Amino acid sequence: MQSCLQSVKRSRPLLGAFVTARVDGLSIARAHQAIDAAFASIAATHGAMSFQEAESDVSRLNRSAHIGPVRVRRETYAVLARARLISSVTAGAFDITVAPSLVERGLLPRPEGAPEPDKRADWRDIELLPGRFVRFRRPLWIDLGGVAKGYAVDRAMEALLKFAPAQACVNAGGDLRVAGGASERVALNAGYVEDGIPTMELTNGAIASSADAGSGAHVDPIICRAISPKRFVSVVASHCIDADALTKVVMARGLASAPYLSVFNAYAVMHDAARGWFEIGERP
Amino acid sequence: MRARFIFIPVAAITISTPLHAEVYLTVEEAQTLIFPGAAFTEDFRNLTNAEIAAIKEASGVKVENRRLKAWRVSSGGWFLVDQVLGKHDYIPFALGIDANGAIKGIEILEYREAYGGEIRNANWRAQFAGKHGGASLKIGKEIKNISGATISSKHVTDGVRRLMATYAIVLAER
Repeated sequence: MQSCLQSVKRSRPLLGAFVTARVDGLSIARAHQAIDAAFASIAATHGAMSFQEAESDVSRLNRSAHIGPVRVRRETYAVLARARLISSVTAGAFDITVAPSLVERGLLPRPEGAPEPDKRADWRDIELLPGRFVRFRRPLWIDLGGVAKGYAVDRAMEALLKFAPAQACVNAGGDLRVAGGASERVALNAGYVEDGIPTMELTNGAIASSADAGSGAHVDPIICRAISPKRFVSVVASHCIDADALTKVVMARGLASAPYLSVFNAYAVMHDAARGWFEIGERP
Repeated sequence: MRARFIFIPVAAITISTPLHAEVYLTVEEAQTLIFPGAAFTEDFRNLTNAEIAAIKEASGVKVENRRLKAWRVSSGGWFLVDQVLGKHDYIPFALGIDANGAIKGIEILEYREAYGGEIRNANWRAQFAGKHGGASLKIGKEIKNISGATISSKHVTDGVRRLMATYAIVLAER
Protein backbone atom coordinates (compact mmCIF):
# COMPACT_ATOMS: atom_id res chain seq x y z
CA MET A 1 0.00 0.00 0.00
CA GLN A 2 1.41 3.38 -0.92
CA SER A 3 -0.26 6.16 0.95
CA CYS A 4 0.48 9.75 0.00
CA LEU A 5 2.27 10.11 3.33
CA GLN A 6 4.99 7.70 2.29
CA SER A 7 8.34 8.82 3.62
CA VAL A 8 11.55 7.30 2.29
CA LYS A 9 14.91 8.16 3.82
CA ARG A 10 18.35 6.81 2.97
CA SER A 11 21.92 7.50 4.02
CA ARG A 12 25.32 7.09 2.40
CA PRO A 13 28.89 7.96 3.35
CA LEU A 14 29.70 10.90 1.04
CA LEU A 15 31.81 14.06 1.44
CA GLY A 16 33.43 12.43 4.47
CA ALA A 17 30.13 12.53 6.33
CA PHE A 18 26.82 10.72 6.51
CA VAL A 19 24.53 12.18 3.89
CA THR A 20 20.83 11.46 4.26
CA ALA A 21 18.08 12.29 1.82
CA ARG A 22 14.38 12.06 2.54
CA VAL A 23 11.31 12.54 0.36
CA ASP A 24 7.67 12.40 1.42
CA GLY A 25 4.60 11.86 -0.70
CA LEU A 26 6.07 9.89 -3.60
CA SER A 27 5.61 6.25 -4.56
CA ILE A 28 8.40 4.08 -3.19
CA ALA A 29 9.90 3.54 -6.64
CA ARG A 30 9.97 7.27 -7.46
CA ALA A 31 11.24 8.10 -4.00
CA HIS A 32 14.24 5.83 -4.54
CA GLN A 33 14.85 7.29 -8.01
CA ALA A 34 14.82 10.77 -6.53
CA ILE A 35 17.23 9.81 -3.76
CA ASP A 36 19.53 8.01 -6.24
CA ALA A 37 19.67 11.22 -8.30
CA ALA A 38 20.41 13.29 -5.20
CA PHE A 39 23.27 11.02 -4.12
CA ALA A 40 24.69 10.96 -7.66
CA SER A 41 24.82 14.76 -7.77
CA ILE A 42 26.64 14.88 -4.42
CA ALA A 43 29.21 12.31 -5.54
CA ALA A 44 29.92 14.39 -8.67
CA THR A 45 30.39 17.58 -6.63
CA HIS A 46 32.75 15.77 -4.29
CA GLY A 47 34.96 14.61 -7.15
CA ALA A 48 35.36 18.15 -8.48
CA MET A 49 35.99 19.95 -5.22
CA SER A 50 38.12 17.59 -3.17
CA PHE A 51 41.33 19.06 -1.77
CA GLN A 52 42.87 15.58 -1.54
CA GLU A 53 42.08 14.05 -4.93
CA ALA A 54 44.88 14.87 -7.37
CA GLU A 55 42.66 15.34 -10.43
CA SER A 56 39.94 17.45 -8.80
CA ASP A 57 39.43 21.02 -10.02
CA VAL A 58 40.70 22.27 -6.67
CA SER A 59 43.96 20.31 -6.94
CA ARG A 60 44.50 21.41 -10.55
CA LEU A 61 43.98 25.04 -9.52
CA ASN A 62 46.33 24.77 -6.56
CA ARG A 63 49.02 23.28 -8.81
CA SER A 64 48.84 25.58 -11.79
CA ALA A 65 46.35 28.49 -11.68
CA HIS A 66 49.20 30.86 -10.70
CA ILE A 67 50.92 30.03 -14.02
CA GLY A 68 47.93 30.58 -16.27
CA PRO A 69 44.13 30.27 -16.48
CA VAL A 70 42.71 26.82 -15.63
CA ARG A 71 39.27 25.80 -16.84
CA VAL A 72 36.99 24.29 -14.19
CA ARG A 73 33.63 22.60 -14.11
CA ARG A 74 30.45 24.65 -13.97
CA GLU A 75 29.84 23.55 -10.38
CA THR A 76 33.31 24.55 -9.20
CA TYR A 77 33.02 27.93 -10.93
CA ALA A 78 29.64 28.55 -9.26
CA VAL A 79 31.09 27.75 -5.83
CA LEU A 80 34.13 29.98 -6.43
CA ALA A 81 31.88 32.85 -7.50
CA ARG A 82 29.67 32.51 -4.43
CA ALA A 83 32.70 32.18 -2.16
CA ARG A 84 34.12 35.39 -3.63
CA LEU A 85 30.87 37.25 -3.04
CA ILE A 86 30.73 36.07 0.58
CA SER A 87 34.39 37.01 1.11
CA SER A 88 33.83 40.47 -0.29
CA VAL A 89 30.65 41.12 1.71
CA THR A 90 32.26 39.90 4.94
CA ALA A 91 35.50 41.83 4.39
CA GLY A 92 37.42 38.58 4.26
CA ALA A 93 35.99 36.96 7.40
CA PHE A 94 35.26 34.07 5.06
CA ASP A 95 38.20 33.15 2.85
CA ILE A 96 38.83 29.94 0.90
CA THR A 97 42.59 30.66 0.78
CA VAL A 98 43.21 29.75 4.43
CA ALA A 99 44.15 26.20 3.41
CA PRO A 100 47.88 26.66 4.27
CA SER A 101 46.93 27.26 7.93
CA LEU A 102 44.88 24.05 7.92
CA VAL A 103 47.74 22.12 6.31
CA GLU A 104 50.09 23.52 8.95
CA ARG A 105 47.81 22.19 11.67
CA GLY A 106 47.66 18.78 10.04
CA LEU A 107 43.95 19.15 9.27
CA LEU A 108 44.55 18.86 5.54
CA PRO A 109 47.34 17.00 3.73
CA ARG A 110 49.96 18.97 1.79
CA PRO A 111 48.73 19.29 -1.81
CA GLU A 112 51.10 17.32 -4.01
CA GLY A 113 52.87 19.20 -6.76
CA ALA A 114 51.53 22.59 -5.65
CA PRO A 115 53.97 25.49 -5.19
CA GLU A 116 54.64 27.03 -1.80
CA PRO A 117 51.77 29.52 -1.23
CA ASP A 118 52.52 33.23 -1.06
CA LYS A 119 51.91 34.36 2.52
CA ARG A 120 50.33 37.61 1.33
CA ALA A 121 47.74 35.83 -0.82
CA ASP A 122 44.04 36.06 0.00
CA TRP A 123 40.67 35.69 -1.72
CA ARG A 124 41.26 38.84 -3.82
CA ASP A 125 44.02 37.00 -5.68
CA ILE A 126 41.53 34.61 -7.28
CA GLU A 127 40.44 35.85 -10.69
CA LEU A 128 37.29 34.42 -12.22
CA LEU A 129 37.59 34.82 -15.99
CA PRO A 130 35.00 34.28 -18.72
CA GLY A 131 34.56 30.75 -20.05
CA ARG A 132 34.92 29.20 -16.57
CA PHE A 133 38.65 29.95 -16.45
CA VAL A 134 40.27 30.71 -13.11
CA ARG A 135 43.63 32.37 -12.50
CA PHE A 136 45.55 33.06 -9.30
CA ARG A 137 47.53 36.31 -9.07
CA ARG A 138 49.98 34.62 -6.67
CA PRO A 139 50.65 31.01 -5.76
CA LEU A 140 47.98 30.06 -3.20
CA TRP A 141 46.02 27.07 -1.97
CA ILE A 142 42.26 27.04 -1.91
CA ASP A 143 40.11 24.64 0.05
CA LEU A 144 36.38 24.48 -0.62
CA GLY A 145 35.71 22.38 2.49
CA GLY A 146 33.84 25.31 4.02
CA VAL A 147 31.27 25.62 1.23
CA ALA A 148 31.30 22.49 -0.93
CA LYS A 149 29.11 20.55 1.44
CA GLY A 150 26.48 23.28 1.51
CA TYR A 151 26.61 23.57 -2.27
CA ALA A 152 26.26 19.78 -2.60
CA VAL A 153 23.16 19.91 -0.39
CA ASP A 154 21.62 22.58 -2.65
CA ARG A 155 22.33 20.54 -5.78
CA ALA A 156 20.95 17.38 -4.18
CA MET A 157 17.81 19.26 -3.20
CA GLU A 158 17.38 20.45 -6.80
CA ALA A 159 17.63 16.81 -7.88
CA LEU A 160 14.95 15.77 -5.36
CA LEU A 161 12.62 18.63 -6.30
CA LYS A 162 12.52 17.49 -9.94
CA PHE A 163 10.42 14.59 -8.65
CA ALA A 164 7.98 17.02 -6.96
CA PRO A 165 7.82 15.48 -3.49
CA ALA A 166 5.42 16.95 -0.92
CA GLN A 167 8.31 17.48 1.45
CA ALA A 168 12.04 16.79 1.17
CA CYS A 169 15.20 17.06 3.22
CA VAL A 170 18.90 16.61 2.46
CA ASN A 171 21.31 16.49 5.38
CA ALA A 172 25.06 16.27 4.78
CA GLY A 173 26.54 15.78 8.21
CA GLY A 174 24.45 18.52 9.79
CA ASP A 175 24.36 20.96 6.86
CA LEU A 176 20.83 20.54 5.67
CA ARG A 177 18.00 21.95 3.65
CA VAL A 178 14.28 21.31 3.87
CA ALA A 179 11.69 21.98 1.19
CA GLY A 180 7.91 21.77 1.17
CA GLY A 181 5.13 23.58 2.97
CA ALA A 182 5.60 22.00 6.38
CA SER A 183 7.98 23.21 9.04
CA GLU A 184 10.55 20.72 10.26
CA ARG A 185 12.27 20.64 13.58
CA VAL A 186 16.03 20.45 13.49
CA ALA A 187 17.68 19.66 16.79
CA LEU A 188 20.91 21.60 17.27
CA ASN A 189 23.45 19.25 18.71
CA ALA A 190 25.82 21.55 20.53
CA GLY A 191 27.36 18.64 22.37
CA TYR A 192 25.21 18.57 25.49
CA VAL A 193 21.66 18.90 26.70
CA GLU A 194 20.53 21.08 29.58
CA ASP A 195 16.92 21.99 30.19
CA GLY A 196 15.64 21.47 26.73
CA ILE A 197 16.75 20.61 23.26
CA PRO A 198 17.71 23.71 21.26
CA THR A 199 15.73 23.37 18.08
CA MET A 200 15.24 25.32 14.88
CA GLU A 201 11.84 25.06 13.27
CA LEU A 202 12.55 25.54 9.62
CA THR A 203 10.33 25.87 6.55
CA ASN A 204 11.78 25.98 3.03
CA GLY A 205 15.28 26.84 4.08
CA ALA A 206 18.73 25.65 4.99
CA ILE A 207 20.71 25.42 8.17
CA ALA A 208 24.37 24.67 8.77
CA SER A 209 26.16 24.28 12.06
CA SER A 210 29.69 24.44 13.21
CA ALA A 211 31.28 23.63 16.52
CA ASP A 212 34.74 24.50 17.62
CA ALA A 213 36.08 22.89 20.73
CA GLY A 214 39.51 24.35 20.22
CA SER A 215 40.60 21.87 17.55
CA GLY A 216 42.05 24.66 15.42
CA ALA A 217 39.79 23.75 12.51
CA HIS A 218 38.45 27.30 12.34
CA VAL A 219 40.92 29.87 11.23
CA ASP A 220 40.45 33.62 11.35
CA PRO A 221 41.50 34.62 7.82
CA ILE A 222 42.54 38.13 8.82
CA ILE A 223 44.95 37.21 11.57
CA CYS A 224 45.62 33.65 10.29
CA ARG A 225 45.21 32.15 13.72
CA ALA A 226 42.94 29.45 15.02
CA ILE A 227 39.76 30.72 16.60
CA SER A 228 39.89 29.86 20.25
CA PRO A 229 36.48 30.26 21.88
CA LYS A 230 34.41 27.14 22.32
CA ARG A 231 31.50 28.20 20.23
CA PHE A 232 28.61 26.46 18.59
CA VAL A 233 27.04 28.25 15.66
CA SER A 234 24.02 27.51 13.47
CA VAL A 235 23.17 29.70 10.49
CA VAL A 236 19.82 29.71 8.69
CA ALA A 237 19.65 30.89 5.07
CA SER A 238 17.57 30.08 2.03
CA HIS A 239 20.49 28.20 0.43
CA CYS A 240 22.78 25.79 2.19
CA ILE A 241 25.94 27.13 0.52
CA ASP A 242 25.36 30.51 2.21
CA ALA A 243 24.49 28.91 5.55
CA ASP A 244 27.62 26.74 5.37
CA ALA A 245 29.97 29.61 4.53
CA LEU A 246 28.41 32.01 7.04
CA THR A 247 28.95 29.61 9.96
CA LYS A 248 32.67 30.42 9.59
CA VAL A 249 31.94 34.15 9.63
CA VAL A 250 29.82 33.91 12.78
CA MET A 251 32.42 31.62 14.36
CA ALA A 252 35.06 34.28 13.75
CA ARG A 253 33.07 37.48 14.35
CA GLY A 254 30.28 36.52 16.77
CA LEU A 255 27.72 39.31 17.34
CA ALA A 256 29.59 41.58 14.94
CA SER A 257 28.51 39.34 12.05
CA ALA A 258 24.90 40.61 12.16
CA PRO A 259 25.29 43.10 9.26
CA TYR A 260 26.90 40.42 7.09
CA LEU A 261 24.06 38.01 7.82
CA SER A 262 21.46 40.59 6.81
CA VAL A 263 22.99 40.92 3.33
CA PHE A 264 22.21 37.23 2.75
CA ASN A 265 18.86 37.28 4.60
CA ALA A 266 20.49 34.89 7.02
CA TYR A 267 20.09 34.52 10.73
CA ALA A 268 22.19 32.73 13.34
CA VAL A 269 22.03 31.30 16.78
CA MET A 270 25.19 30.87 18.77
CA HIS A 271 26.18 29.28 22.04
CA ASP A 272 29.24 29.96 24.08
CA ALA A 273 30.11 28.96 27.56
CA ALA A 274 30.00 32.50 28.96
CA ARG A 275 26.72 33.74 27.52
CA GLY A 276 24.69 30.64 26.69
CA TRP A 277 22.44 30.86 23.65
CA PHE A 278 21.76 34.05 21.74
CA GLU A 279 20.41 35.05 18.36
CA ILE A 280 22.28 37.12 15.77
CA GLY A 281 20.55 39.01 12.96
CA GLU A 282 16.92 39.17 12.06
CA ARG A 283 14.83 36.06 12.10
CA PRO A 284 13.38 35.41 8.61
CA MET B 1 11.83 30.59 4.25
CA ARG B 2 10.69 30.71 7.85
CA ALA B 3 12.67 29.89 10.99
CA ARG B 4 11.97 29.89 14.71
CA PHE B 5 14.39 29.04 17.50
CA ILE B 6 12.84 27.15 20.37
CA PHE B 7 13.78 24.91 23.25
CA ILE B 8 11.83 21.72 23.29
CA PRO B 9 11.34 20.69 26.88
CA VAL B 10 12.68 17.22 27.22
CA ALA B 11 9.50 16.00 28.89
CA ALA B 12 7.56 16.82 25.72
CA ILE B 13 9.47 14.21 23.82
CA THR B 14 9.04 10.57 24.58
CA ILE B 15 12.63 9.52 24.67
CA SER B 16 13.79 6.74 26.86
CA THR B 17 17.46 7.30 26.12
CA PRO B 18 19.01 10.35 24.52
CA LEU B 19 19.56 8.53 21.28
CA HIS B 20 18.63 9.29 17.74
CA ALA B 21 18.08 6.04 15.89
CA GLU B 22 16.94 5.55 12.36
CA VAL B 23 16.30 2.51 10.26
CA TYR B 24 16.78 3.43 6.62
CA LEU B 25 16.57 0.12 4.81
CA THR B 26 16.05 -3.56 5.54
CA VAL B 27 18.58 -6.00 4.07
CA GLU B 28 16.02 -6.99 1.41
CA GLU B 29 15.36 -3.38 0.44
CA ALA B 30 19.08 -2.70 0.10
CA GLN B 31 19.47 -5.81 -2.07
CA THR B 32 16.71 -4.65 -4.42
CA LEU B 33 18.11 -1.14 -4.61
CA ILE B 34 21.66 -2.15 -5.42
CA PHE B 35 20.82 -5.14 -7.68
CA PRO B 36 17.32 -4.55 -9.08
CA GLY B 37 15.56 -7.74 -10.19
CA ALA B 38 18.32 -10.10 -9.04
CA ALA B 39 17.97 -13.19 -6.82
CA PHE B 40 20.21 -13.65 -3.79
CA THR B 41 21.71 -16.86 -2.44
CA GLU B 42 22.96 -16.74 1.11
CA ASP B 43 26.59 -17.83 1.35
CA PHE B 44 27.62 -16.94 4.89
CA ARG B 45 30.97 -18.21 6.06
CA ASN B 46 33.51 -17.94 8.84
CA LEU B 47 36.83 -16.36 7.97
CA THR B 48 39.91 -18.42 8.87
CA ASN B 49 42.71 -16.92 10.92
CA ALA B 50 44.89 -16.83 7.81
CA GLU B 51 42.18 -14.94 5.88
CA ILE B 52 41.70 -12.47 8.74
CA ALA B 53 45.43 -11.77 8.79
CA ALA B 54 45.53 -11.35 5.01
CA ILE B 55 42.54 -8.97 5.04
CA LYS B 56 44.15 -6.82 7.71
CA GLU B 57 47.40 -6.81 5.76
CA ALA B 58 45.68 -5.81 2.51
CA SER B 59 43.28 -3.19 3.89
CA GLY B 60 45.04 -1.90 6.99
CA VAL B 61 41.79 -2.42 8.90
CA LYS B 62 41.33 -4.89 11.74
CA VAL B 63 38.70 -7.62 11.29
CA GLU B 64 36.38 -7.52 14.31
CA ASN B 65 34.05 -10.30 13.33
CA ARG B 66 35.00 -13.55 11.56
CA ARG B 67 31.41 -14.14 10.39
CA LEU B 68 31.08 -12.92 6.81
CA LYS B 69 27.51 -12.19 5.74
CA ALA B 70 27.61 -12.60 1.98
CA TRP B 71 25.03 -13.32 -0.70
CA ARG B 72 25.74 -14.45 -4.26
CA VAL B 73 23.84 -12.34 -6.76
CA SER B 74 22.12 -14.09 -9.67
CA SER B 75 23.21 -11.36 -12.11
CA GLY B 76 26.84 -11.74 -10.98
CA GLY B 77 28.61 -10.16 -8.04
CA TRP B 78 28.18 -10.18 -4.30
CA PHE B 79 26.05 -8.46 -1.71
CA LEU B 80 27.64 -8.05 1.74
CA VAL B 81 26.26 -6.82 5.05
CA ASP B 82 28.62 -5.73 7.78
CA GLN B 83 28.86 -3.17 10.55
CA VAL B 84 31.39 -0.73 11.90
CA LEU B 85 31.60 0.95 15.27
CA GLY B 86 30.51 4.55 14.84
CA LYS B 87 30.85 7.34 17.35
CA HIS B 88 28.23 5.89 19.66
CA ASP B 89 27.06 2.55 18.36
CA TYR B 90 27.39 0.01 15.57
CA ILE B 91 26.41 1.15 12.09
CA PRO B 92 25.18 -1.68 9.87
CA PHE B 93 25.73 -1.13 6.17
CA ALA B 94 25.41 -2.99 2.87
CA LEU B 95 27.94 -3.20 0.06
CA GLY B 96 27.23 -4.40 -3.47
CA ILE B 97 30.15 -5.61 -5.58
CA ASP B 98 29.51 -6.18 -9.28
CA ALA B 99 30.68 -9.13 -11.39
CA ASN B 100 33.90 -7.26 -12.21
CA GLY B 101 34.77 -6.68 -8.58
CA ALA B 102 33.86 -2.97 -8.58
CA ILE B 103 31.71 -1.26 -5.97
CA LYS B 104 28.12 -1.13 -7.21
CA GLY B 105 26.52 0.50 -4.21
CA ILE B 106 26.86 1.36 -0.53
CA GLU B 107 23.84 1.90 1.70
CA ILE B 108 23.70 2.65 5.42
CA LEU B 109 21.02 0.38 6.90
CA GLU B 110 20.64 1.91 10.36
CA TYR B 111 22.14 4.78 12.28
CA ARG B 112 22.17 5.54 15.97
CA GLU B 113 23.56 8.75 17.35
CA ALA B 114 23.58 9.84 20.98
CA TYR B 115 21.94 13.23 21.08
CA GLY B 116 24.03 15.63 23.06
CA GLY B 117 27.14 13.54 23.31
CA GLU B 118 27.66 14.38 26.93
CA ILE B 119 24.69 14.98 29.12
CA ARG B 120 25.72 17.64 31.57
CA ASN B 121 22.63 17.74 33.71
CA ALA B 122 22.58 14.71 35.96
CA ASN B 123 18.93 15.28 36.91
CA TRP B 124 17.99 15.25 33.30
CA ARG B 125 19.81 12.00 32.82
CA ALA B 126 18.32 10.47 35.97
CA GLN B 127 14.80 10.64 34.61
CA PHE B 128 15.74 8.10 31.97
CA ALA B 129 17.43 5.65 34.27
CA GLY B 130 15.95 2.21 33.94
CA LYS B 131 13.78 3.17 30.99
CA HIS B 132 15.76 1.50 28.29
CA GLY B 133 13.04 -0.93 27.23
CA GLY B 134 11.00 -0.37 24.10
CA ALA B 135 11.95 2.07 21.41
CA SER B 136 15.36 3.44 22.20
CA LEU B 137 14.54 6.80 20.75
CA LYS B 138 11.67 8.82 19.57
CA ILE B 139 13.39 12.03 18.66
CA GLY B 140 12.56 10.96 15.12
CA LYS B 141 8.89 11.52 15.75
CA GLU B 142 9.16 15.15 16.80
CA ILE B 143 12.56 15.98 15.40
CA LYS B 144 13.52 14.48 12.11
CA ASN B 145 16.88 16.13 11.70
CA ILE B 146 19.94 16.98 13.69
CA SER B 147 22.43 19.71 12.85
CA GLY B 148 25.72 19.81 14.68
CA ALA B 149 29.39 19.15 14.30
CA THR B 150 29.96 16.79 11.41
CA ILE B 151 30.37 13.18 12.40
CA SER B 152 32.97 11.61 10.15
CA SER B 153 32.02 8.65 8.01
CA LYS B 154 35.63 7.47 7.88
CA HIS B 155 34.90 4.29 9.82
CA VAL B 156 32.38 3.29 7.15
CA THR B 157 34.84 3.94 4.34
CA ASP B 158 37.41 1.91 6.30
CA GLY B 159 34.81 -0.86 6.59
CA VAL B 160 34.20 -0.75 2.83
CA ARG B 161 37.95 -1.01 2.19
CA ARG B 162 38.11 -4.03 4.53
CA LEU B 163 35.22 -5.70 2.70
CA MET B 164 36.80 -5.05 -0.69
CA ALA B 165 39.93 -6.81 0.61
CA THR B 166 37.73 -9.60 1.96
CA TYR B 167 36.16 -9.95 -1.46
CA ALA B 168 39.54 -10.13 -3.18
CA ILE B 169 40.95 -12.67 -0.75
CA VAL B 170 37.93 -14.84 0.02
CA LEU B 171 35.13 -14.42 -2.55
CA ALA B 172 36.58 -13.49 -5.95
CA GLU B 173 36.83 -16.34 -8.46
CA ARG B 174 40.41 -17.11 -9.29
